[in-house]
Amino acid sequence: MLKDINIGQYIPGDSPVHRMDPRVKIILTIIYVVLLFVINNFYGYAISSVFIILPVVLSKISIRYLFKGLRPILIIILITVLFNLFLTEGEVVYRIGSFSITKEGIRMAAFMALRLIFLITGTTLLTLTTSPIDLTDGIERLLNPFKRIGVPAHELAMMMTIALRFIPTLLEETEKIMKAQMARGADFESGNFINRAKNMVPLLVPLFISAFRRADDLAMAMEARCYRGGENRTRMKQLKMSAVDYAAFAFTALLSAGVVYTRFFFH
Amino acid sequence: MNKTRNMILVAFFIALTAIGAKIEIPLPFVPITLQVLFVFMAGILLGKKLGALSQLLYVAMGLIGLPVFAKGGGLGYVFKPSFGYLIGFILAAYVIGLIVENRELNFKQAFWASIVGLLVIYACGVPYLYYILNNIMGVNITPYGAVKAGMLTFLPGDIIKILVVASLTPQIHKRIKPFIENKRM
Repeated sequence: MLKDINIGQYIPGDSPVHRMDPRVKIILTIIYVVLLFVINNFYGYAISSVFIILPVVLSKISIRYLFKGLRPILIIILITVLFNLFLTEGEVVYRIGSFSITKEGIRMAAFMALRLIFLITGTTLLTLTTSPIDLTDGIERLLNPFKRIGVPAHELAMMMTIALRFIPTLLEETEKIMKAQMARGADFESGNFINRAKNMVPLLVPLFISAFRRADDLAMAMEARCYRGGENRTRMKQLKMSAVDYAAFAFTALLSAGVVYTRFFFH
Repeated sequence: MNKTRNMILVAFFIALTAIGAKIEIPLPFVPITLQVLFVFMAGILLGKKLGALSQLLYVAMGLIGLPVFAKGGGLGYVFKPSFGYLIGFILAAYVIGLIVENRELNFKQAFWASIVGLLVIYACGVPYLYYILNNIMGVNITPYGAVKAGMLTFLPGDIIKILVVASLTPQIHKRIKPFIENKRM
């Protein structure tokens, strides 16, 4: 009943891309996404492909993992391509029955598919090369300047970290309760939908109660160790920008200029 | 209420929502996940602010690429026709929390609050579905088609989930009371 769960797509490694400061990686990913929406012709894609291919090569991550990231939206890409291919009006190139493929349709379909593929590949690369802890750490540091307007940067990052940490624990708990109830005769796998939903109750009541109990224990443990939020906290691992980070920024600036150029001066 | 504990509870509901997306009731053709059930429970048990915060962070984490959504995560989710429901979760948790605030958590309260929450989810999800299908994916669908695909097919299942929520609420509330009326503060 529980789908097999892969928690985290992160692939540990020791490449320059892995070692980059997570803050820089997040900012560059955002810039990359914005650039994809600036692009309005295929020259732009040619440039942005450099933007994605270089880090992929440097990170030494197998292309297989990037394709895996594309799988969830494969259907969306397919539908987009098919509909654009057949339903865009223009110069007819090929005809199948009452459907016709137009030149504009082919262009549009390729353009939309490329945008989606580039978008997903780029953001997948971020999660493939950055551990969840580094990611939340980076987010906390990036949100720090907004503390002044009342954004609780540390608390938000802490909640994300705790959530990630406890997904496997609570999942295990769910499985354990399920087995315990099955041993007492609960039936999760037969009957019609209404019955199955009803049978969820003996699973969910203990699950919620144990979550509240665990939260209480954890709060007590944290307070016993004098946890009081991010103020005056010192870190064992300091985030530091290195030469790779500065190089990546320079590289991005160059490519961004290129993309903007193709948008306004090539048609 | 205690600040550290609230923070942890929000984190736990993020985790539970992520798990809810992955518990599925196997049915022929359309397997149904329990995700909305956890959204409703977040609103009911955590209240408007913390409930909505847990859903907001859940969505934010998924978009960043942390693996909490039904199928991984990542920015590409924004282009999924179903992303509107995720936005709806945030508002629904808030609205449900608002309704049950300062009221006794019995079957009836939980039921009607969840019904309103469900309507909020549809109100966000269906127009989003319609927009993405028509404008991003280029699939032509009529407004009625969007309502049919995005709401009517899910309605019976969601109502049953609400009934489960409503019968869970008094049982759980009774037993977490000692944790809510905090002994230490």
